[in-house]
Amino acid sequence: MHGESLVEIPDKKHKSAFASIPSGFNMANFLVSSVHDMKNSVSLLICGLDKVLTSAEAAKLSSHAELVQMNHEAKRINNRLIQLLTLYKLGQKIYPFDPQYVCLDDFLRTIVAQYTQLLEFHGVQIEVRVNPDLYWYFDEDLISGVIGSAVNNTMRFARHRILLSAAECDGKLMLRVEDDGDGYPAEFLEKNSNVMQSVDFHGGSTGLGLYFSAMAARMHRNQGMQGDLCLENGGALRGACFVLRLP
Amino acid sequence: MNINPLDLSNSAALNFSGKNILVIDDFMEMRNVLRDILCNCGADIKKMQMAANGSEAIAWMKKVKYNVVLCDLNLGHGKNGQQVLEEAKYQSLIDPSCLWIMITAEKTVDAVAGTAEYQPDTYLLKPITEASLRVRLSKIWGKKEVFAEIHKAMKQRDYPKALSLCDQRMVSHKTYAADLLRTKCDLLLAAGEYDHAKNVLEKILGARDFPWAKAALAKILLKKNDLAAAKNILEETVEANPAYLEAQDLLTHTLQVMGDLESARNVLERTLKFSPNSAIRQKNLGAVSMKLGKLEDAERAFRKSVSLAENSVLRTADAYLGLAKVCSANKNPEQALKTLEQLKKNFAADNVCVMALAIEGMVHHQCGNEQKAKQIAEQIGQSIATGNLHPDSDGTLEIARLLINAGDKGQAIKLLQDEIKKNPESAALLHDVAEVFDEAGMGEEGRQLIETSRQEAMLIMNRGVLLISKGQYEEALSAMREACAAMPANMRVLLNLAYVIITYMQKNGATPELINEARHSLRTANELSPGEPRFIRLTAALKELTALK
Repeated sequence: MHGESLVEIPDKKHKSAFASIPSGFNMANFLVSSVHDMKNSVSLLICGLDKVLTSAEAAKLSSHAELVQMNHEAKRINNRLIQLLTLYKLGQKIYPFDPQYVCLDDFLRTIVAQYTQLLEFHGVQIEVRVNPDLYWYFDEDLISGVIGSAVNNTMRFARHRILLSAAECDGKLMLRVEDDGDGYPAEFLEKNSNVMQSVDFHGGSTGLGLYFSAMAARMHRNQGMQGDLCLENGGALRGACFVLRLP
Repeated sequence: MNINPLDLSNSAALNFSGKNILVIDDFMEMRNVLRDILCNCGADIKKMQMAANGSEAIAWMKKVKYNVVLCDLNLGHGKNGQQVLEEAKYQSLIDPSCLWIMITAEKTVDAVAGTAEYQPDTYLLKPITEASLRVRLSKIWGKKEVFAEIHKAMKQRDYPKALSLCDQRMVSHKTYAADLLRTKCDLLLAAGEYDHAKNVLEKILGARDFPWAKAALAKILLKKNDLAAAKNILEETVEANPAYLEAQDLLTHTLQVMGDLESARNVLERTLKFSPNSAIRQKNLGAVSMKLGKLEDAERAFRKSVSLAENSVLRTADAYLGLAKVCSANKNPEQALKTLEQLKKNFAADNVCVMALAIEGMVHHQCGNEQKAKQIAEQIGQSIATGNLHPDSDGTLEIARLLINAGDKGQAIKLLQDEIKKNPESAALLHDVAEVFDEAGMGEEGRQLIETSRQEAMLIMNRGVLLISKGQYEEALSAMREACAAMPANMRVLLNLAYVIITYMQKNGATPELINEARHSLRTANELSPGEPRFIRLTAALKELTALK
């Protein structure tokens, strides 16, 4: 939202406005409107970098590697901001949950297209396995955030390959993000039995991505069933597996 | 099945040749970004125009027929993206085949607050990438093609054709099966085939809890006047899917019809948390709050509605009228009159002007300016008496309100009684009429008048049917004709007349005159309330008779 005016205070009244913060002052409003504002800037940043990187001369630049990495970091920030906004809305019970029938083939390809260049750079190959006729009913934006954040995570640990797959399994859609890395540490998998408790603000990982993913999975319900999330080791590439199941 | 992820061009083959494209965004950087992405997708830069705001966009659309429009929802000052789309569709600046993509910074239902016919084809969240645009464009293009003929048949109200097209496409275009099934249900509802629709919906709900299918079931229950059951199913639906606003709106409507205004207000407040920028819902909140005596809340909601609709071609006079009334009730006559002035500048329709005039009279009455109030009351009273005015239900109520307080009381009572006779079964109308009597200090007398009119109307309405059941066909026919003359705008009377004529013909044989009379009666009833199940049944019976003849 351009020109979001919640935090804009006219210059002339700067001091007095701050001296008398209205009684309705709400830190959450400032945070939310700032996140919106940041999202707009990050969007432009991403589009700008995308443009530079798709140009023919880009690969010849000495700073090409740095640009690719910058683009990736900007996308990470964008994903994080979306997750924060979404969680805020879920908390306020105003998230516009909007499931639709989605073609999984298109869905996964669109996600993968964002990471191809970076992965190529790191010598990691990403592969999609899905039946082109597979359709499922879910909130595309939410789940794209979940899978995107899983791919983001897995690319730090994959050696040579990442595999994204979707298939129907026992009346549910099973989405898997797998790699050929060392897999999740044992203590992480133990804690994983309750993803919601794994948020650790003091540790290196905020757990935001996992928390977001678990919330997004749970939003999906059908005929008494609920979506869920599970982390495991093994799978087709003998590494870490991020498994999302949606009813 | 190893697929090269870079190869998006195959699944999303786009053909831009000869296609005109308009990009609407208030930020130059964004316009440039979108232009570059479109060019990468194969669009021709010479066939692309850029607009920085709504006025520029409308000006371009008047000159060029666009095939694709990419529009940011937030355009800074002036019209927003939704209002640009509404104006473009309202003025037919774009064809139904034009693909409109709304771009938003975040997912919000505010964007979809408009009615279905003014919704964009799809939304895209920022940042837009080439991959996301390609996939979305090809999907919507395909969908437009599949639905083009169906929509055409729908527009011509050729429901059987539209339905058979839906069934065909469901087999040939599996990609869009879910959308086609939903459209099929909409069509069955529009055609009044409720039992068939119910069967299909229940089968669908057996496999997945679609909120739209539940809302459709509720619509059928509402048509059958089973308010309690409709309320139950809608409450269940919004509990599980609070963001599905169509169900929230249906629930508000149901509660209002049931007369449970307090609950209706709660649902509206809840819905507005999702869509604070919906002018229609703010207006409804104003009206309900006012009925509940919450004048400050009402004023705030009406004001918000007026300002939200400022740039919209779809704005209505209701919010202005409500605001004027609430200002007057809040002892602020100057503001009320100012609002009515504004209204007159923006709306010229006859029934709006009459209503505004009646409310103006009431403003004068409420602030003690009896002379002015009387003058206006007399002016309107005369126009009514000479048959020059044909106000709608809301207009009649406002006129009666003024006349009963500052004009000819008898004329006001007659107006209200006639209105009840048109629709004696509407709880909401009876409630509104009682309110007019209450305000004029005629509470008890008013209640009796209402009850008498209601009973009279019900009696007349059913007399013909009763006589038929006794086998008195001739008497039934003349009774219903009399009823129709007394209550020409009562849907039930019209349907009963058709029923009596048809039954008479089944007994005594058909004549062209009777067939015409029945047909005319049915047509008028359907104009008053389209798609009533009885209308469908009677039309079928009449068709059978004409076929026999």
